[in-house]
Amino acid sequence: MEWTGLQPEMVRSELSEIVGDAHVSTDDADRLVYATDWFWLPQMWLDRGETPRKPDYIVRPKNAEEISAILQVANAYRIPVIPWGGGSGSQGGALPVFGGIILDTKRMNRIIEIDEKSLTVTAEAGINGKQLEWAVNEKGLMLPHYPASANCATLGGYLAPRGTGTISTKYGKAEDLVLRMQVVLPDGHILRTPIVPQHAAGPDFYRLFLGSEGTFGVITEATMQLDYLPDCRLLRAVLFDDLTNAIEAGRQIMTRRLDPFVIRLYDPRSTASRVKKILGYELEGAYMVLGFDGDKEIAALQEEKAMDIINGFGARDLGREPGEAWWNHRYDFYYPPQSLKLPWMYGTTETVTTYDKIEKLYFAEKKAVEEGFKEWDIDFIGHFSHWFHWGVMVYTRFIIRNPPDDAKEAVRLHNRVWNTAMTAVLENGGMVNEHHGVGLKLSRFMRRQYGDAWPLLERIKKTLDPNGIMNPGKVGFGH
Amino acid sequence: MQQMNTVIGAIENCRFCLMCRHVAPVGHITHNESVTPHGIALVAAMQRRGQLTWDTSTLSVLYAEPDGGNCRAHCVTDQPLPAAIAAIRAEVADKGLAPPEVVRAHDRIVENHSVFGSYEPANEQGEWGLFVGDAGFNLSRETMHAALQLLEACGLDVVPVGCGLDSGFIPCSLGYPKTARAQASLCIEEVQRTSIKKLLVLSPQDLFAFRQMYRERLDITWPEEIVIIDLVDFLAGQVPNFKMIPLAGTADNATAYVDPTHAVRLPGRFDAARTLCEVALGYTPLELFWRQDRAHPVGSTAIQFTRPDIGVRLTEARLEDAVNRGAQSIVCDDPATLHELRLRNKSNLRVQGLYETLLARLARHS
Repeated sequence: MEWTGLQPEMVRSELSEIVGDAHVSTDDADRLVYATDWFWLPQMWLDRGETPRKPDYIVRPKNAEEISAILQVANAYRIPVIPWGGGSGSQGGALPVFGGIILDTKRMNRIIEIDEKSLTVTAEAGINGKQLEWAVNEKGLMLPHYPASANCATLGGYLAPRGTGTISTKYGKAEDLVLRMQVVLPDGHILRTPIVPQHAAGPDFYRLFLGSEGTFGVITEATMQLDYLPDCRLLRAVLFDDLTNAIEAGRQIMTRRLDPFVIRLYDPRSTASRVKKILGYELEGAYMVLGFDGDKEIAALQEEKAMDIINGFGARDLGREPGEAWWNHRYDFYYPPQSLKLPWMYGTTETVTTYDKIEKLYFAEKKAVEEGFKEWDIDFIGHFSHWFHWGVMVYTRFIIRNPPDDAKEAVRLHNRVWNTAMTAVLENGGMVNEHHGVGLKLSRFMRRQYGDAWPLLERIKKTLDPNGIMNPGKVGFGH
Repeated sequence: MQQMNTVIGAIENCRFCLMCRHVAPVGHITHNESVTPHGIALVAAMQRRGQLTWDTSTLSVLYAEPDGGNCRAHCVTDQPLPAAIAAIRAEVADKGLAPPEVVRAHDRIVENHSVFGSYEPANEQGEWGLFVGDAGFNLSRETMHAALQLLEACGLDVVPVGCGLDSGFIPCSLGYPKTARAQASLCIEEVQRTSIKKLLVLSPQDLFAFRQMYRERLDITWPEEIVIIDLVDFLAGQVPNFKMIPLAGTADNATAYVDPTHAVRLPGRFDAARTLCEVALGYTPLELFWRQDRAHPVGSTAIQFTRPDIGVRLTEARLEDAVNRGAQSIVCDDPATLHELRLRNKSNLRVQGLYETLLARLARHS
């Protein structure tokens, strides 16, 4: 449905007054490119020759004040506003499902301050993750958030869906690294959260914006915790015969606080397929990459203690080279044609829960998906990659290599697989997501996920955004 | 057919891939998703599916790709997207849809074999040659002269060839492969006619054309008997033989080296260029943020004709990078890059030719 006539021109004119005409686009090519993020559904839709709902405007503000003014226009005309960073989200969180304004934040890419004493960086939210990392690296520092999307995602995109990076097991999720944010609320009010996150001066309200994916406002600036670049990174790989033993070994390493920066455990199916394809190792069993970093002596001692645990489970030490190969090629998994790609159907049903439930959850989900979609020859693979003191995330994925050609049929099959997987996750004590976010994809599961607590979130949403302009259709609001 | 398979393969792989975004220069200066490699590939893929047609809007995306090589240099699976875009532009040009500025640039090459001025064929004979190219002859002749004098100081009798001659890169990138092949043939013929066996190349753009583009995009094989040598590499190898005039006064240590357009396609030259800088300046040059394997191009590629607005911004962004790093002057070896930097420089930044700077400090060759 196209929005035409006088009113859209009025809006365009007002937007142009705020950001300048060069930074507002209603161009066909732009509208098509911004009609999809990294969610499989709109990509498939385009691949099959269909066109998803396009935004009406793409606007590129340069600061929080301009965003504030844009939101006031959007409220006046009741137009949806969808914040956009790198467009690399896999959950459809940046899709303009009701049209409206795409608020591309990439012009806001300044580094405001690198504080080498407190080890923090303050930057605008539209800065590219890798470029930010290069800048702090020049000071001997790192922002220890290394997601596979670092090349394309923005700082705001790290925070809005509560992202997790490859080295989160030691350094935490993006949300653990943020000290302070500037946020523009849906009514245009600009606020700054307190200077530090850990205090006792009232409730922890700043966390409301983490995971809200633009439904509660727009993150425009953040102060992030940095670390020194490590003196060493010790990596090695081990092979377990059995996934159960591997998970238990990982649990013991974590609960004894040996502080690995990475434990990457591939299930046997993933070991046989993805590890073979990308790293070239033909192995049977569960492949685990283990890494320790920082001070050389401390890291070596931590590794030694971890290997004592691993040896207790009879795992085979594959040595340093396969661990280092994984580290050096860890993002190669995401480059086409090596990555999962169309016309295949695929999805990452990643989840997190406590150690007492994780294995049961993994096998329950695997069984539900494999048995439920046997006729589609569905492949179910996974790896356990973000470990906590209390539990672990499992990055499970399904792949259907011959999905329906018809786009509408493909949507129905896709959603049936997701329903099956998420039902298994919820029934076994898991969260519907650990780090990709909710977006449009998981929106319909949020009420079930939160149960009695959901109305509170709805009330907060209604209070902050009474006109419902902020990223409608996402994070469960409206479902 | 092979070429079309390459096109389809690259745009299908790149249309939803965002993994080179961090080094994509046009995306970085415009902040516009549509003119990143992913955006351009998606528009091209949707045009092939009939969801878009080539019109002002879509053509402005197609012609926004600078053909500087950054996307491919950072692609783990080596997707030849710039070559694919050049091939799609050829389809567009065949249909008579190329923008007027593009057509005019092409017409100049057809008429003069040069897009910037005139071409003067070489008549001398020799074992060693220096391929000067179009920009070196018509835009930054002092760089050519300095290079020839440096080579003379190295004891080489060098024949300048390709003076004012486009190597085929510009027409190929504009979407005119037949013209590009004709230019390539002219280049090879001139080098063969002058009996050159060792061809030094002044411009990274021409070096890329000879070493890679001819083979990949034009299906032309460079003659085996003629060795191609990057001038920067060659001169860096001569450094132990150079005797330099001591610097008068204290060096300001505030000169930055600008890796030229296409440098990312020729990673072997990063160290060589810096070796020459150290000799020429007397100290290690400042490093820009956009350097070495992430160096962004200036607007010296075909972008100056396909999307001049973007070309200007690319150059301005390089100058801003230097100012932000505290540089008082910048130095570069490539004539085309130097010309662009000088043309767009509105600050107090001094823009120096690397070969000219080196020559000025050279006492004698021992």
